[in-house]
Formats: sequence, C-alpha cells, structure tokens
Amino acid sequence: MPHRYLQLDVFAARPGTGNPLGVVFDAGPMDTATMQALAAWLNLSETIFFLPPDPGADYRIRIFTPGSELPFAGHPSVGAAWTAVVHGLAIPRDGQLIQQCEAGLLPVEISGDHANPRVAVRSPRAKHLQDHAPLAGLDAIAVPGQAAALWNNGPSWWMVEAASAKALRGLKPDFSAIAAWTNATATTGVAMFALEPEADHDVVVRAFCPGDAVNVPEDPVTGSANALVGALLHAQGWLPGVDGRYIASQGRELGRDGRVHVRVDDDGQVWIGGQVQQVIAGTLDW
Amino acid sequence: MPRRYVQLDVFASRPGAGNPLAVVLDAEGLDDAAMQAIAKWTRLPETTFVFPAVSDDATHRIRIFSPRREVPFAGHPSVGTAHALLDAGLIAPREGFVVQDGIAGKLPLKVNGEGAERTIAVRTPRARVQEIATPDDPRLRAALAGLDLGALPPVLMDGGRRWWLAELASETALRSATPNWDAIIALANATESMGLFVYARSDDPVYHFAVRAFVGAPAQFEDAASGAANATLAAWLAERDALPDQPGGFYRVSQGREVGHDAIIELSIDAEGDVWSGGRAVAVVTGMLDWPE
Repeated sequence: MPHRYLQLDVFAARPGTGNPLGVVFDAGPMDTATMQALAAWLNLSETIFFLPPDPGADYRIRIFTPGSELPFAGHPSVGAAWTAVVHGLAIPRDGQLIQQCEAGLLPVEISGDHANPRVAVRSPRAKHLQDHAPLAGLDAIAVPGQAAALWNNGPSWWMVEAASAKALRGLKPDFSAIAAWTNATATTGVAMFALEPEADHDVVVRAFCPGDAVNVPEDPVTGSANALVGALLHAQGWLPGVDGRYIASQGRELGRDGRVHVRVDDDGQVWIGGQVQQVIAGTLDW
Repeated sequence: MPRRYVQLDVFASRPGAGNPLAVVLDAEGLDDAAMQAIAKWTRLPETTFVFPAVSDDATHRIRIFSPRREVPFAGHPSVGTAHALLDAGLIAPREGFVVQDGIAGKLPLKVNGEGAERTIAVRTPRARVQEIATPDDPRLRAALAGLDLGALPPVLMDGGRRWWLAELASETALRSATPNWDAIIALANATESMGLFVYARSDDPVYHFAVRAFVGAPAQFEDAASGAANATLAAWLAERDALPDQPGGFYRVSQGREVGHDAIIELSIDAEGDVWSGGRAVAVVTGMLDWPE
C-alpha cells in the first residue's frame, strides 16, 4: 500500500542548506524491521514514521537513522512538528503540541503562519558532566586556558569554545585524533563554537563525530550540539541575542548553510527550532 | 516550479534489494550547480536529470551526478532512468530499444517485456583478458587464501576498470567466504585494479551465478550490485566457453545478499560478442521535487 511521503530540509532558509529528513505518513501497519530497512535505503541522516498517538499526545513518531532507532533527536522532531501542522495531522492549542516519541512526551511550540510555521522543540535537560584539557590540535584555536567540557542531553558532546569564529571556520580538524578521543571516552563527538555577531546569526557551531558512535566526520546541522551550546552559554552567563533567543550558523564548511534558532527559557530549558523547506512530496511504495 | 521526481531501486524486483537511484524527470532550467546540489542533497549513489532529446535518433538526454561530481556514464543510472521514463509514459521503445543521449554520446538500451516484468540492459564497454594467473601467484596468494577455489584460473579483466576474477567451487563457499581485506587492498593497489570479484555457479531456479565484489581501492567495501564487473565476468566466461547453456548467451546473477541487498543482474552476449548488462527496477518514491532554479 502506498504511503504519503515527504522529504524535508530542516534548519534551512532555502532548499539544500539544512539537514534532510524523510517523512513517512500512516506507518501504523509497518513493523520495526521494515522501518529500519526503509531508513537504510533512503540513506538520509534520519527518517521519521507517523503512527497513531496514545491519549495525551497530538501525534506520534518513531525516528530511524540508516543504522538504528533513536529515542529522540532534534531535527527530526522539528520536521515532525512542522509536518503535523502543515499537513493537518494535529491542531495546535495555544501555540503548543505534544509529540510522542520513544523517549516519551515532548512539548513543541508553534508560531507564525500555519502554511509555513516556525516550530521549536524542547531539548532533553542538559547536564555538565566533567572537564578535560582540550584535545591536542584543537587547543591551538580554543580559548586559552579553557577546558573542554563534557555535556550530555541524550548524546554526550565534548564542548570546546574557539577563540575566534574565523579560526573555527578555517579549522581543518584531525579526524583520526577526534575519533580516538571520542571512542576512548565513549562520547558522541566534539562540538566547537564561537560567538560571531552578524546580521542573521550570533554564534557559529561545528560538530565533529568521526568516532564509532556516529561515524560522520562532520555533521552539517546538529540539534543536540546546538542545544548544549545554548545550555553552556546560559550557564556561563554569556547568552547572546535578546530575551534568551539567538540564531546559530552551522554547515557552511560542508557546503550547507543551516540556521538553528535557540531559546533558553526562564527554567533554563533549551528550545531549538528553525525553518523547514518541503523539497519532495509524493508517495512511497515499499 | 515542481518537477516530476522518482526514487527507484535498480537491479531489484522488490524495494530494498538493489541499487538506489533518484531521477528528476523534467530537469530543464536547472543549471550545473543546482543539479550538483540536488545530487548531494538526495544522498544517493547517483541522481540523474532528464532533458528532451535534441536529435531524432535519441529518445532522451540525461546527465548523471554522484553527490560529488558529474559522471559521464554509469550503467545502473542509465538502466534506472529508462525504467522511470517508460513507467511515466514519457518515452516509448522503438523496435525494442530506447536511445539515451549524454556526455558519453548516444547509447542504445534494450527493453524486454512490460510492467513489473520489464528488463532494460545497456551495452557495456568491450572487456578483455589482461592476464591469466595461478592461485599461488605471490600477488594473489593472500587474497585467495582460505577460499574454496573452482576450476577456472584467476584472471585480471579490463573493462574500463580492472578486476581480478576468481571462481569458487560452490555457491555455499561463496556466500560464506570471509574477505581478507588487507590482502584485497594490497592486491588492488599493486595491480591498479578495483579488487577481487568472486563467482560461483548456482543451482537456483532464478539465477545461474552468485557473485561478490570486494572493492579494495579507492575505498574498501563490498558492492551490492556491480553492472560493469559482472560484464567482465560474462566476457571471461564467453572466452572460456563456460557460459550457462542458455539461448542468446543469457544468464542471471545474484549479488549483494551478504551486505543486506538481493540484486538480480541479467547478462547477455549478442552476435557481435558485446555484453549487455541490466535488469528490473522498482519505483519506491514517486512525486514532485521543488528546488529553486
């Protein structure tokens, strides 16, 4: 039976600049093995499957990478909420929806026009776990004397602040050293950031995950790492922007140009969102 | 402007078994940069872009892009694109052929059957025997160690790319073989070849040979469906008079099960001795693509 299918570009101001996402509608009859096989075949960083929600949720998704199922991930959740609103799967109340995913129920904020809404999802609470001297090769551009901080919000990222945005954008990292370090510490990767006050963004982010956990040298647009940058800047009292909101730029070094909208609320919770482009719409036969 | 878009599985009769391909069926107005950006964004091995034919002796014109660069010619994208165009009713065979125009020139594709049973084959570059070796050749010994070898000797074939072909004694031996990657990489580098391609005869009712393609260079992986490498095998079998006893030199190959696929590739040899390689395709995603010009 054919399913409705979309392929979206998330965190993108125009097609091709963000993070692609496959969206399969009415996946209730699909079993787990089928979802995994389809996600592997589509070869997108993530594919989501809409299922009938349980009471208390407005919509339900399962999230698959080509290799495994994820309990939660930022960019698939942003794409899911956008799809739910634009394609009429759920109607927001007071600008809110409740998403059900394997990690549980998650609030989603919707604002703006229903034909092209802005959505933001609350990221799992960030925890600062430990500090470590920056990895050799990265300390050349890191803020002098500042440790690499290990943070977790589901994934665990080593956070390293760069002394300048220019140095960070020009960095050619030693991927084998990063892979060895993240494998030895059983972490997702290394996220580097720097303040970059420009007209359309405030922060630049790069996320390196060449180790076994992800096995991608550099990720183009990373929800979890951006949420941790927000939490870290908030904890240090250096949050840029206005009213706890700022925009991060990620992916230019890979030929993308993603924009992640970050907000830290009064409880210190981090919300991430951005624009979504619908690139492919049709049916899927599997 | 939305454009017709298909994502299909080539060399497959069910989704997920073959080699994926994206096709933009009406690509007019897209420039090189947009095509490259789309091919990068789809994240598939190849994306093709279809334009109207500019001469009467072609049915369509295509350009083929990998995520990194434009490719002058490749077999599975040519076969898959012709399937997508026939499915959409945008072209029709003329006396059993459609003709694709592209950077590599005009190329006939042979169409057999209709609907889900339809197969399409491309003529492959002439392959020739480069060198016949023995299993104890110092360059081959480590790569072949532990493999239950068949009767035909190892051979280096050149069909544009070079492959070492080695027969195994049975399909069981082939499917359970463990590649010695270090030795295959060394073999590929030492002989400027892709790596080791092993094959075995099969008693299966559907296919006549099972094969596995171990690519040692430039990257290390087992390929799920290798149109060109299989064509060099057909040329080698013809050379040794070892083709299955079938009309028109026709036979089928099973490839990719060991890497989670299940491709069927059809080979045939025409009266001129040219090898044709192809198979079925199944559409998975059918819809519209909206990309700014």
